[in-house]
Amino acid sequence: MEASEIITILGNPLTVMTLLPILGALLLMMAHWMANAEMRLTLEKPIRSVNLTIALLMFILATLIGLEETFGLTWGEYLYQNCQIGEIGTGSCALIGSIGVSWHVGVDALSFPMVWLTTLLIPITMIVEWDAKKGAYFHSLILMMEGALIGVFVSLDLFVFYVFWELTLIPMFFLILMWGGEDRRYAAQKFFIYTFTASVFMLAGILVMYFNNDASWVGNITGKSFDFVLMDTQENFIASEGLRSVVFLLMLIGFATKLPSVPVHTWLPDAHVQAPTAGSMLLAGVMLKMGAYGFLRLGVTLFPEQVIEFQTLLIILGMVSLVYGAVVCLGQINLKRMVAYSSVSHMGLIFLGIATLEPLGIAGAIFMMFAHGIISPLLFAVCGSFKHHYHTLEIDSMRGLAKHSPWMSGHMMVGWMGSLGLPLMAGFVAEVAVLIAFYMAFGWWVLLPAVTLIVTAAYYLWSMQRTIFEGGRDDHDHPIAQLPSTLHGESPRDITWHENTGMIILGVLAVVYGIYPDFFGMFEMMSDWASLLVENRLYPAEVNP
Amino acid sequence: MGGHSKAEWNLLLPVLAMVSFPGIRMFMGFEAIESAFLIVAVPLLIFPAILIIGQMNKGEDWWKDQLKEGGIVALAGLMITLSLTVWLIVEFLVHHADFGAQGIILDWIHFEVLGANGEWVTSTLSFGLWIDSVSLTVLFVAAFLCFLICWFAIGYMTTDHQNEDRNHRFFAEFVLFSMGMFGMVLADSFLWLFIFWEIMGLCSYLLIGFYWEKPSAAAAAKKAFLTTRVGDVFLMVGLFMLYDLYHSLEFAVIFGDPTLGGTIQGSDLQWPLILMFIGCVGKSAQFPLHVWLPDAMEGPTPVSALIHAATMVNAGLYLVARMFPIFSEASFEGALSDVAMLIAWIGGITAFMAAFIAFVANDIKRVLAYSTMSQLAYIFTGLGAACWFANEGYEKYAILAFGAALFHLFNHAMAKAMLFMSSGSVIHEMHHAHEHAHGDGDEGDHHHFDPQDMRNMGGLASKMPVTSTAMMLGSMSIIGIPLIGGFWSKEGIVGQAWNVYLKGGEMILFPALLVLATAGMTGFYMSRMWFMTFAGAPKTEVVDHVHEDTQWIKTPLITLSIVTAFSGFILACGHFVKWLAKPDDAHFMTDLLKHPVDAILYELEHAFLPEDNTLKVVGWTAILLSSCLGPFIAARLHGGKLKEGEVATPMVGWLVNLSGKAGKTDVSELAEGGFATALHNRLYIDDAYEWMISKTLLPLANISAWIDKNWVDGVIKGIERGSQWISTWLRQFTTGRASDYLLMTAIGMLIFVGILWGVI
Repeated sequence: MEASEIITILGNPLTVMTLLPILGALLLMMAHWMANAEMRLTLEKPIRSVNLTIALLMFILATLIGLEETFGLTWGEYLYQNCQIGEIGTGSCALIGSIGVSWHVGVDALSFPMVWLTTLLIPITMIVEWDAKKGAYFHSLILMMEGALIGVFVSLDLFVFYVFWELTLIPMFFLILMWGGEDRRYAAQKFFIYTFTASVFMLAGILVMYFNNDASWVGNITGKSFDFVLMDTQENFIASEGLRSVVFLLMLIGFATKLPSVPVHTWLPDAHVQAPTAGSMLLAGVMLKMGAYGFLRLGVTLFPEQVIEFQTLLIILGMVSLVYGAVVCLGQINLKRMVAYSSVSHMGLIFLGIATLEPLGIAGAIFMMFAHGIISPLLFAVCGSFKHHYHTLEIDSMRGLAKHSPWMSGHMMVGWMGSLGLPLMAGFVAEVAVLIAFYMAFGWWVLLPAVTLIVTAAYYLWSMQRTIFEGGRDDHDHPIAQLPSTLHGESPRDITWHENTGMIILGVLAVVYGIYPDFFGMFEMMSDWASLLVENRLYPAEVNP
Repeated sequence: MGGHSKAEWNLLLPVLAMVSFPGIRMFMGFEAIESAFLIVAVPLLIFPAILIIGQMNKGEDWWKDQLKEGGIVALAGLMITLSLTVWLIVEFLVHHADFGAQGIILDWIHFEVLGANGEWVTSTLSFGLWIDSVSLTVLFVAAFLCFLICWFAIGYMTTDHQNEDRNHRFFAEFVLFSMGMFGMVLADSFLWLFIFWEIMGLCSYLLIGFYWEKPSAAAAAKKAFLTTRVGDVFLMVGLFMLYDLYHSLEFAVIFGDPTLGGTIQGSDLQWPLILMFIGCVGKSAQFPLHVWLPDAMEGPTPVSALIHAATMVNAGLYLVARMFPIFSEASFEGALSDVAMLIAWIGGITAFMAAFIAFVANDIKRVLAYSTMSQLAYIFTGLGAACWFANEGYEKYAILAFGAALFHLFNHAMAKAMLFMSSGSVIHEMHHAHEHAHGDGDEGDHHHFDPQDMRNMGGLASKMPVTSTAMMLGSMSIIGIPLIGGFWSKEGIVGQAWNVYLKGGEMILFPALLVLATAGMTGFYMSRMWFMTFAGAPKTEVVDHVHEDTQWIKTPLITLSIVTAFSGFILACGHFVKWLAKPDDAHFMTDLLKHPVDAILYELEHAFLPEDNTLKVVGWTAILLSSCLGPFIAARLHGGKLKEGEVATPMVGWLVNLSGKAGKTDVSELAEGGFATALHNRLYIDDAYEWMISKTLLPLANISAWIDKNWVDGVIKGIERGSQWISTWLRQFTTGRASDYLLMTAIGMLIFVGILWGVI
């Protein structure tokens, strides 16, 4: 059987990847909920395994799509669409035909890396928290999360996009609320309300776009459509410059909050610190990228003139996030909080990359989304296992982790080094690409982000010095071993086999993508997409304003 | 511990078998060039193998005894790289060729940029090999020393019980480091040079922190990484500027036509070169980014020998040497001479400062660390002079200065690696002798005894014949005793620095004076170290228990003693200097084989003792200061005959006896003065940096964290509280009385109608 036949065996693969996890997760949770107490115990483990199996199937499916189509993916072409433009709002495509909502999915070079990353991370997060309490619900929620995330990345109808966008909040809300730390109730509420409020601005922007998207030929009641491809290909889409700017800014508010960018970032540290390990991994690994993805897909693609108009704003947002985030990191005493702020700092590079208007800068920004999607889950997995085994997240609380937990400290070293931009690891590729482009566009200003790299190195190395190193070896020369008081005299342990498995996969991937960024066609795909975006949209807008 | 002397030579059989590796490749029909990528690939594959197998099998007998916790695997891998390197060099010499770029190995990333004529062109950042006389020289130094020091490390590391069960980490990181060094030397673009440069930085960090349980080691590792990172960031920005100019970072493009068809002026390149030089300053531990190197001595001694003396710290020099073709571009004439001057100045200042601090250092490894800084600074001065000559159009002198500088790199690397290994041998045996004398249980004393402190040594010449001979030869090479090792190159550097002055570069007078004075100071502090360690009466009774009998340690010392003693002479006479800068013209080694006497005389007269009378005076002053005055003062202060009944090997006995005849001077008053205290505190530069960080960056970080928590998030919290308050306030309108609701409805309607009225 051909690979293409396997991919389409259940119908459109993207539809399957979106709906199957959500429906599967709902069914599994329902089954567990309806069973009696005795059955629940017996069902616990099979449900966990089924969840993992579905997640792995999704990964295989995404990988097959990649193998089939990797080199065909580019800008403006969407593969595995379930309907073409002419069919929008009709037949099987129509979802709420009367107001122009359709079920229209497809992947291109921007969304495929994110889809693949999602399907890759979901099984890893499941494995890392394999022994979570109430696993039947925990793993099902993660699976539901997968469907919602893939839905965000593949839907080409903005109504459906928005629905999935908000749907991702629900499993994450419950993950934080039920499996979170001491202050989980506050963190879950803040996370939900904060990001929900921001996305209302985005919704307002989407509605303006909807009312300006002429689809009278479909013949529905409003004569409008939510379809993105239609907007993208339409001549004179939103003619008024002022209105375009308003829509762009509304979008920016929504996406910058999700990214998150300073000053609307404070939901992130709270959510991360309270979230369970798997929740943090997904939050940093994929959910933040929704902001960057949305901005590139809707903001930059549809409103290139506004990107040029608000270039300075983007630079300021990116630069402040980068520099201020890094400095705040240095002042943190909580390990997870530090890593959370480092995400804010790294996400600043994405805005900087886009603001360069160079193909290299935008490719670097997209690769940053991907690289950070591999490295930051590793960081949070390390933080999570530290919390799990040492019951604390305070940086200065212990010394000599290298003795008690050699594997954990090894992963910490790999993750920290990757995140501070060590060459031959994925983060460096993105950093160097963005910064070269930034120099080409803005000259000496590059010193500001470049010097920030020193601060980044400083907070990572300093935190390692105060956890991994110093003391701990049974040597009469240096008897200064120190364990956190939260252990209450328990002997410290190393990470479990399943935590280790997940971290090894992430660490290896971080190195593989650093040495060969084109592995699985990734950098090439992103570079092509960025080049065509610039050549077709940004550059013409810049030359003829 | 040092007592067991079971024959372990059979372990070397698989290592020696690896010599045949190039032969096998040749038999398979490959050229040396086609096998060159293996020099990088083999260590890259061995690194994870040692790490993983070691982590899983540590403590097993076969792993410890047969493979020396991975040491034998590492040594075998390094044997492969060494033999491939030699094969490559032979091929290069036989063909008398400048190989240049060797094609692409890894297509890293590619993307589009807007070309000059408004079209989008694809640009690639890929990794390939670049082979010429400079890269081959540094490659040979790296491969040869990696191999010998790995050999030494097997003896040094595996006989110390505090390293047990973690030596696999040492050897794995050691091999990863060698991969970084080979890759950096062979890379064909500035970007990949930088990538491998950073990998070496990582290994340096990991290996300085090898004894992570020591707070001082953990702090030193962090300091090394961060200090070099400061330089690296500027280097990176320099690379961005270079990319912006050339739309490529490949040597082939940049050296092929540094003007890029006349579009690039010399002044465009000033800033990129200066920024890249800042990176070199960090990596090669030059003022003001030198503070990490002395602390880096916290690492195991083989690491100090390899990374922090012989190889990695040369990376900065190598990068400056790589910039040389840009300086020699004819159309940039005069535009870059300020950059060259800056390089020379940094070199002169560091050489002098480091030599001064070395005067008072009592830790044997720290003396060597400061000596390393000082000698690297010499090379920078030489390179600065070379770049100045090249940029001012004096091609003949540029070649002499460039060759002398890189020749000094070679001599210094060989001698300094040997000196560090000798110091390791001393420390190792002192440590074991102390344990032997006092036993492990003697807790109280254990804390006070420092096996690295030269004030605990003295009179070791009779106990350690091989080590003392090796250290004597190494010191002679560093001092520049005529005809030995560093003499050839140091005379050249000092001479050419003064020559720049004579040719109109007045600005160089200050560094030229400094390097001349440093020559004498080198003579003092190196002799001081040797006399304090090996001559005179023992200063502690530990010395009486010292035996020089740990296996694996002596062989590399003997090998390098021979190399240090003779290679300088042979290479100098074989036109090595000229070959380095212009391989096509020089008949490297052939003249020496055909007309040996002529070759020697030519080199003596021509290269290093030039015809100009002023330079002759400078040259002889340098010799006088370094070979006579410096050692003489050191002998008066620290020399002396051995204890009654102790006999040193004749190789060094003459020197001990000579030092005994020099007489005695008491300088304790001077040693307690304010200046000596300042030197002990490294001129307070480290303290100033620490003060700056703790008074600026850390408070800023804490304030930012506070602001973020209380102001930025405070606004959000304010909104939360505000909305709660408003909702509580609004709740009081829910009175439950119909009349109130009717009233509110009426008011609402009125407002609504009013708004409509106003709008329409």
